[in-house]
Amino acid sequence: MKKLTVEVCIGTPCYLMGARELIDDMTELQNEYEDKIKFKTLHCIEERCENAPIVKIDGEIYEEMTPDKLREIILERI
Amino acid sequence: MDLVIDEFYKSIPKKGQEVCGDNVEIIKNDQETIVVLSDGLGSGIKANILSTLTSKITVGLIDKQLPLIEIIETLIATLPICEVREIAYSTLAVLRLSQDGTAQIIEMDTPSVFLVRDNQIKEIEMQERELRGKTIREAEIQLNRSDRIFMVSDGVIHAGIGALLDFGIGWQGFARHVEDVVGRFNDLKNMIEKLVDICLAYYLMEPGDDFTVLGLSFRKKRKLTMLSGPPQDPKKDEEVVFELLEGPGQKIVSGGTTAHIVARELNQKVESTFDYYDKDVPPLMKIKGMDLVTEGLLTLNKVTDYLEKHKHGQLYPNGKDGASRLVRMLLASDYIKMIVGRAMNESHQSLNLPLELGIRTQVMNRIAGCLKKLNKDVEIIWY
Repeated sequence: MKKLTVEVCIGTPCYLMGARELIDDMTELQNEYEDKIKFKTLHCIEERCENAPIVKIDGEIYEEMTPDKLREIILERI
Repeated sequence: MDLVIDEFYKSIPKKGQEVCGDNVEIIKNDQETIVVLSDGLGSGIKANILSTLTSKITVGLIDKQLPLIEIIETLIATLPICEVREIAYSTLAVLRLSQDGTAQIIEMDTPSVFLVRDNQIKEIEMQERELRGKTIREAEIQLNRSDRIFMVSDGVIHAGIGALLDFGIGWQGFARHVEDVVGRFNDLKNMIEKLVDICLAYYLMEPGDDFTVLGLSFRKKRKLTMLSGPPQDPKKDEEVVFELLEGPGQKIVSGGTTAHIVARELNQKVESTFDYYDKDVPPLMKIKGMDLVTEGLLTLNKVTDYLEKHKHGQLYPNGKDGASRLVRMLLASDYIKMIVGRAMNESHQSLNLPLELGIRTQVMNRIAGCLKKLNKDVEIIWY
């Protein structure tokens, strides 16, 4: 089965606005659903910094992400 | 060959004390390195104040070019004697090491320095003289480039008292450990850490006295080139990356956008990681051929915090995060070339950052200022 690719931006604005909490949560989720999620970090997605933190899930961009919202979206999609 | 003097020390307070009663002051200029080690009578805050006074006054007077013996005479005459124990209240060891290898040593009530030549302790012939009722030992020697010098406070010689040994390891005992450690490690920092661990072990991890181990050695000059920030004129991206590649020594890139520019010009990829070791410092990145790739502003501000607190001779922060790594590389280098791009980072404008945090040129200027104070040769090229 194809894994769901989750990419969290770790540029300065995203990190300041909460990307670290997203990393913590994603690390936890990935441990739980190792065979279903592929978690990566990347830098600066399409200059959307004013709506940081930004996450890309299977190519789709989500803005102003929080750990709860991210978890909800991922659990819906796997 | 370009050689510089490296010096590191570590002080451990007596068990139960928060501050160490030993104090080290180091001043450096292009010609020489002057080290003053003082051990205040007793332990805790009182000892700390005593040793700090003694070493600061000494170093201050040396800086004013007064002859060493005159300085010590003034010290003995002016510093008070402990009312309870009726002895002068702190010890003093001074080492003045010139770039050409001439070393002047003066000791007052302190263990003799350890000279290691060809991995063996070599005895130094000391002259003694009486000065206002005190015995002063002094020597002037010529060091070889591979020699190492270690200075300690008496807590090292007494290591083991109250724990493993009745009378402590003594000068000879510690000398054997110095020989052993110098033979086993290449890096002076590691030698100091190891020697401190050995003393702690003799004390069964509960030191009965403050103690300090300090080491000096010569090494070749190290160089480093660092790039941070995109250039104001995007047409200069290629030029900036070329400047980085052509720069001497290790290569550091700091900043997400900058990392992408470097990767693009080199036809490489930026690899992001998600391990962070300090919550204030974002994870590292990787680009093939670069020695360190970090995030920009947050990391650089943390680097500034570290550097502003750093004193000559202190060991480096040992964290795995980007800022600690960057600090270690900067401190280990003697010549630092900084290539700083001044393009406004649009992504930061939305954050309303405090002015001082947000402006890269200011942060880089502060870092350069700290490094210059630490006697490093810093060159900044603005783009």
